[in-house]
Amino acid sequence: MTGMDHDALREAAGLYVLGALVGDERQAFDAHLATCAECQADVRALGGVVRALPYAVPQVDPPPALRGRVLAAVGGETSRAAVAGAATRVRSSLALGGWLSAAALLVMSAGLGAYAYSLRERMSGLERQLRAAVERLDRSEQELVAAKGAADRAQLRLAVLTAPDMKQVELAGQAPAPRAAGRAFWSRANGLLFTANQLPPLPAGRTYQLWFLTPGAPVSAGVLKPDANGRVTAAFDAPGDAVAPTGLAVSIEPEGGVLAPTGAIYLAGLSH
Amino acid sequence: MWLLWAVVASHPGATAADHTALERMARGDSDGLAELYDRHGRLVYSLALRILRDQGDAEDVVQEVFSQAWRQASRYQASRGNVVAWLMNLARSRAIDRLRGRRSRPEPVADASAVVEMPDLAQPVDEQLALSGRAEQIRSAVDELSLLQRVAIELAFYEGLTHAEIAERLELPLGTVKTRIRQGLLKLKDRLAGAI
Repeated sequence: MTGMDHDALREAAGLYVLGALVGDERQAFDAHLATCAECQADVRALGGVVRALPYAVPQVDPPPALRGRVLAAVGGETSRAAVAGAATRVRSSLALGGWLSAAALLVMSAGLGAYAYSLRERMSGLERQLRAAVERLDRSEQELVAAKGAADRAQLRLAVLTAPDMKQVELAGQAPAPRAAGRAFWSRANGLLFTANQLPPLPAGRTYQLWFLTPGAPVSAGVLKPDANGRVTAAFDAPGDAVAPTGLAVSIEPEGGVLAPTGAIYLAGLSH
Repeated sequence: MWLLWAVVASHPGATAADHTALERMARGDSDGLAELYDRHGRLVYSLALRILRDQGDAEDVVQEVFSQAWRQASRYQASRGNVVAWLMNLARSRAIDRLRGRRSRPEPVADASAVVEMPDLAQPVDEQLALSGRAEQIRSAVDELSLLQRVAIELAFYEGLTHAEIAERLELPLGTVKTRIRQGLLKLKDRLAGAI
């Protein structure tokens, strides 16, 4: 284990205690946890927080009938008595058959056969309707998830726009793209909202990357993916506390982005 | 109602009484189950309802949780762990299982169970008593988180989303989600110091 492992893995402790870490990430954290007392302490402390969360849920009384259902489900006296009762009823209907004539039984079973057939027909009709209803429900559930995602994102963006420390930056097109323009809103607490238009189409293997300009070296905010019309709107995390941005710039970089800008500047603007 | 609940739930001896109830359940005495349900049924139901937002589904989960508790009473009783924390874990994973099933979403990669198991975190015996008395405090601490911190934590806890799924839902980089969740939990820890 190296110090670098520890620093990188330690950040994941929150995801871990929430059960949101899966696959390789989870395995790597588990392996590190086994040998790292500091991370064990983190997991204990943050785990306590997670256990507190259910107590923050608004408390609702369960319906009174649920108690009986819970107790009946574990095979209390009630359910055994119900089964015994049903068996008695079956036996008495067989006894009834004993004194009916064979002819009467024949007529009855023919009638029952037809009745059973029509029941089966109705049942499969109902099953079809049920399947259709379930499919509709599934679709609306998925639409709901999509809508909720959009609402969550909109809420995050609104938080930037209404933050008390919100700053606005206008970005002007530079030599390679004089018609391009951009605008950014950012808040240290709530992140960065960026929008731009008229960005020229990218050559293959290249990407636009957004930078915080600082008194020192520029700090990457992330990569931008404009649509076919050169428009892009995206949200980013605010820079760390150590960074005091004086402006923003967009440059063209190799795909995936780079740690420090290397390509031509397409948009730039200073914070007011 | 909040205060009343806090008083009832934080009744001293609840943890010892929970273990007595489990002992009775292990012997096949359904009165033990009735006692456990009367004490914690509401907390289990409220959590399931918050996750599923459907009364019928929440009722099914409550029934499943207490049936499982009934079957595993003797095994869990031997571990002397915290009974409420155990019930809450059962409720959360069953409810999220059902939520994922309802949405017909693909399972997280290479994971056999639908819900990602929470790591097993040993809970001090007295912790539950302290927690139940601080419901209001916990709720206001959650409200004080930044929006991103709160939403990310809620997506993980109440919807059982994985790291990658949260990042996708919020259209944020993985690293941002990771950092904000940790910061949010640390902030809650500071605000709740003493309660947990």
